[in-house]
Amino acid sequence: MWLRNNLNHQNGMRSLEVENLTVSVEGKPILNNLSLTLPKGEVHAIMGPNGSGKSTLAKVLAGHEDYVVSSGAVLMDGENLLELEVDQRARAGLFMAFQYPVEVPGVSIANFIRAALNARQGEGDSFDAIAYYRRLYAEMDRLGIDRKFTSRSVNEGFSGGEKKRCEILQMAMLEPKYCVLDETDSGLDVDALKIVAEGVDHMREDDRGILIITHYQRLLNHIIPDYVHIIVDGRMVKSGDKSLAIEVEERGYDWIKEEMAASV
Amino acid sequence: MPPATTVNPDSDLLTETVFEHFQGRHPDLPPWLLQQKRQSWMEYRSLPLPNRKMESWRFSNVRGLGVDPFALANPINGHSRAALVARSQDLDSCAGRMVFGNDDLLENSPLSWEMTEKGVIFEPLQTAFSKHSEILEEFFMAQKSALGSEKFAALHTTLNRNGTLLYVPEKVEIRLPLVSRHWAFGENAAVFPHTLLIARDQARVVFVDVYSSSEASSRQFACGVSTVYAGSGAEVEYHHVQNWGERSLSFNTLTAIAQRNSRIRAFGMNLGSKYSRNEGHSIIEGPASNAEFYSLTLSHLDQEMDQRTRQTHRAPHARSNLLFKNALLDSSKTIFSGLIKVDKAAQQTDAYQTNRNLLLSPKAEANSMPGLEILANDVKCSHGATTGQLDDNQLFYFLSRGIGKLAAQKLLVFGFFEEVLEKIDNRELAEFHRRLVQEKFKRS
Amino acid sequence: MKNENAINIDREKGNFHYDTTYEFDAGIGLNERVVNYIADVKEEDDWVRAFRLKALKIFNGKPLPTHWATKDLENIHFDKFRYYLSKGQQPSRTWDEVPDDVKETFERLGIPEQERAFLAGVEAQFDSEAAYSRMKEDLAKDGVIFVGSTEGLKRHPEIFRKFFAKVIPIADNKFSALNSAVFSGGSFIYVPPGVKVKQPLQAYFRINAESFGQFERTLIIADEGAEVTYMEGCTAPKFETTTLHSAVVELIALKGAKIQYITVQNWSSNVFNLVTKRARAEEEAEVKWIDCNIGSRLTMKYPGVILKGRRARGEVLSIALAGDGQHQDTGAKMIHAADETTSNIIAKSISLGEGRSTYRGQVHIPRRLRGCRNNTECDALLINANSRTDTYPAITVRGNHNSVQHEASVSKVSAEQIFYLMQRGMSEGEAMSLAVNGFVNDLVKQFPMEYSVELKRLIDLEMEGSVG
Repeated sequence: MWLRNNLNHQNGMRSLEVENLTVSVEGKPILNNLSLTLPKGEVHAIMGPNGSGKSTLAKVLAGHEDYVVSSGAVLMDGENLLELEVDQRARAGLFMAFQYPVEVPGVSIANFIRAALNARQGEGDSFDAIAYYRRLYAEMDRLGIDRKFTSRSVNEGFSGGEKKRCEILQMAMLEPKYCVLDETDSGLDVDALKIVAEGVDHMREDDRGILIITHYQRLLNHIIPDYVHIIVDGRMVKSGDKSLAIEVEERGYDWIKEEMAASV
Repeated sequence: MPPATTVNPDSDLLTETVFEHFQGRHPDLPPWLLQQKRQSWMEYRSLPLPNRKMESWRFSNVRGLGVDPFALANPINGHSRAALVARSQDLDSCAGRMVFGNDDLLENSPLSWEMTEKGVIFEPLQTAFSKHSEILEEFFMAQKSALGSEKFAALHTTLNRNGTLLYVPEKVEIRLPLVSRHWAFGENAAVFPHTLLIARDQARVVFVDVYSSSEASSRQFACGVSTVYAGSGAEVEYHHVQNWGERSLSFNTLTAIAQRNSRIRAFGMNLGSKYSRNEGHSIIEGPASNAEFYSLTLSHLDQEMDQRTRQTHRAPHARSNLLFKNALLDSSKTIFSGLIKVDKAAQQTDAYQTNRNLLLSPKAEANSMPGLEILANDVKCSHGATTGQLDDNQLFYFLSRGIGKLAAQKLLVFGFFEEVLEKIDNRELAEFHRRLVQEKFKRS
Repeated sequence: MKNENAINIDREKGNFHYDTTYEFDAGIGLNERVVNYIADVKEEDDWVRAFRLKALKIFNGKPLPTHWATKDLENIHFDKFRYYLSKGQQPSRTWDEVPDDVKETFERLGIPEQERAFLAGVEAQFDSEAAYSRMKEDLAKDGVIFVGSTEGLKRHPEIFRKFFAKVIPIADNKFSALNSAVFSGGSFIYVPPGVKVKQPLQAYFRINAESFGQFERTLIIADEGAEVTYMEGCTAPKFETTTLHSAVVELIALKGAKIQYITVQNWSSNVFNLVTKRARAEEEAEVKWIDCNIGSRLTMKYPGVILKGRRARGEVLSIALAGDGQHQDTGAKMIHAADETTSNIIAKSISLGEGRSTYRGQVHIPRRLRGCRNNTECDALLINANSRTDTYPAITVRGNHNSVQHEASVSKVSAEQIFYLMQRGMSEGEAMSLAVNGFVNDLVKQFPMEYSVELKRLIDLEMEGSVG
């Protein structure tokens, strides 16, 4: 017993651990005793039908106040994530790419990302503006974002694809330890999907864990996940490799629901 | 450290002899001006102080609007003068600058030879009263205050002795902004800054008035009047930055008169004073003209920013727009009272008025009275007023990127202000406004 | 001149009067004797008499509110009116018992017919007192009270006194003080807990006499979980001299109750209509004022809701039509006094000829409240070159947990639209009527059917002859 705990602890120092998480919103249970381990260096995908609780998981991890955790824990490299405020979690290394990125009139993308980087600096550290713009432009070029976008207001008047690319741009600039992508593929055409997927794939590193939440497997054609998990009704019901995603694509979710019903 | 002032009881604004004392100090006033001052002194004394019953002072905290502790400002000594001048270099590129301290001219960076040749006048009123009396007799205080501060306008006329005359002749364009910097110095000093801007037909000019105190925390009394005339086809941009010491009482009346085809844009920035009353009146005198009033306010502590506006349309086919945005911290309070008034003759008017208040503290209070009086039927007029808080979704988005709550709030306020700031074409000028907001945040 | 025709047609229905003999007449002018006369005739308790006399003092001490309101108020000569006129009979329970001249009046106005068609109860007031008052019997079994205020004060003093003048104090304004001094008539309604009155209760206020002042006082109490809809209609003949109508209406919606109050006013253009209407909504209660103002010389009326209990809701839907020479000075007041209270104001006005419509609004959200919301929309339509509209809202919000939104617009009927309709064969007047009905349509849809039909008809009549 001691050994196992210790081992978990060791592994826990290099992973995002979701343990028996139960979550409700406005009194309605959404996630039920859900567990998941995302080690650094791996890409996991979470799939599930509409209303299964996929996006709730992303928001709970980010710390949205509408979601109440009634039991369970989330540890990020051993640190209790649930005790941290939203911005503290982000600075500790968690990044969520929003399904619906928020429009912020009057605040330019350059200022926004700069403020986010500034927040990660220690007191008295000076900000190197030239190096910042050099990096920003490089990432923008790679994601095919027009450099003129730096002075545009965050997400305001952006197309769906532009919004999602802007999320990936922020992710690249902030270099998080763990990335949670909440239905980043929704509303994208084939070309935009490819650019976004390449952007994410580019972020794949031994020191980073990536969690992709998606309804369809098409994004997974571009980013091959190490594991695929299926959520139904707030429970983790099945895990497997990439082939599970393809099976879901072909057969839908009903067969999993039937399997579940049969096992009860 | 605010310098100690030696108070001469005769210069106390409350005493009946203050006007005589003023005359004694300034024996060389031209007779026409003296006559005008005598009249307005009587008017000042006959008019009542604002009270709660007056519609034009609704919601204002009228207690404490007395002039009791204040006295005519004393001249500033050499050392302090130099320090204030050194602090007046806000814009690197400007076509001319005057610096006033307690209504005395401290510095005058003159116009280029070319501009002077073309007949542009940029002159302190003190000398302009006699040098350009033909202009001043016609235009000085020719517009009556109509939005409630009649008494303070009368006091201004009586005790004003300096300010800016900016006269731009027909078809002359001045690309870079001109600046007048007004300083108040010493506790309880009373100052009466004045601006008279006349742009003749098809002239173009950008002018900036900046009002501040030597100490951000000081108390002074400021009672100013600004008038902007735009001749046919003229384009005038006027900036009014109110940044008086934060225990000050300040009044300002701005009147802008737009002739045929002209365009006036006025930008207000309100940061200073304990109580600040700003009255802005745009008068559409000529057809097809356009008057735009924009204002930003960032208030904190127990500041009260009292804003009263009117858009008077007397001529047809014209347009006016107004956008006042207020961000309120702590237990500060704002009042916006605006009126679009469309006369019978002003058919085909397009007039808009918007007031947006962002409450950032549980104790802040925003009052909004957007009004319309429409006497012509073929018009498009609308107003909108909203009062709310920071958007939860935006705040969450910022936090989720690791930006702390205070930093996020600050950025969102900048975002809120940007809608106005982005309308300023001169980038250095827009940056100057942003810097002032930044500095105010540092004081908060 | 061209508007004259339209107005005559419009007033046709209400513009008649019968010579009537009155048993009781307080005489001309306003003084303590008149107030005592009213209290004597009504055989009122001492507290009511004291209340009236106190109100008279306050009325005399208050100036006219001309620092914000129109100077036309100065043309009201309070010493030239008669303040109380009645035949001295008890309100009848059947139309047969109503005196012939009075009955004929209400028959011409269609009241008995409406009662049969869709009403749960009717009270018909003729000058100072109710002439007819009747409610369906099953409602009485449920404990619902629906009587004239004179009768209510006599027969249910324990309820009446508890709620009377609590929402609108005597000194609220000069005209509430006037009403408090000389009030007579109006409705008294009490709906017991949980009782939902399905069909509307209706009151009809008729001014018959010349140089007369009508001062009805209505008090409606919906107890916990109760629901009631009340409708009032008003008319008067067109006299050369002015007539004064100054009512006070107080609504109290206790926890979870719902009150809907509908007014379709069609006063003749010699009437000064200066009315104070306010409601108090307790926890989760809902009060909705639907207010249609057509006619009168000057109407000043700003129905309000004090949102006293958590999650209370208040709403004012208002339509004003200012014909030539008329001034509709209307609006709404929403005083938020508890968390999560919401209010909604939609005001539409139409100004015709030299008509003037004014919107005044007040929205107040004090410190320490959370989750309060207000939404206000005011739209004005100007028909002729001399028509006028004003908008004067005042909004105060304290604290950063509430949100308020106000929007107003002024426009004229689109020339394109008129051209389009005329090309399809309509006359300009018909086209204009259609456009105006379109302007108010989304509001009218919220009215009970019988009233929306009536309103459309009135707008059509008023619009006739306004163009050309």
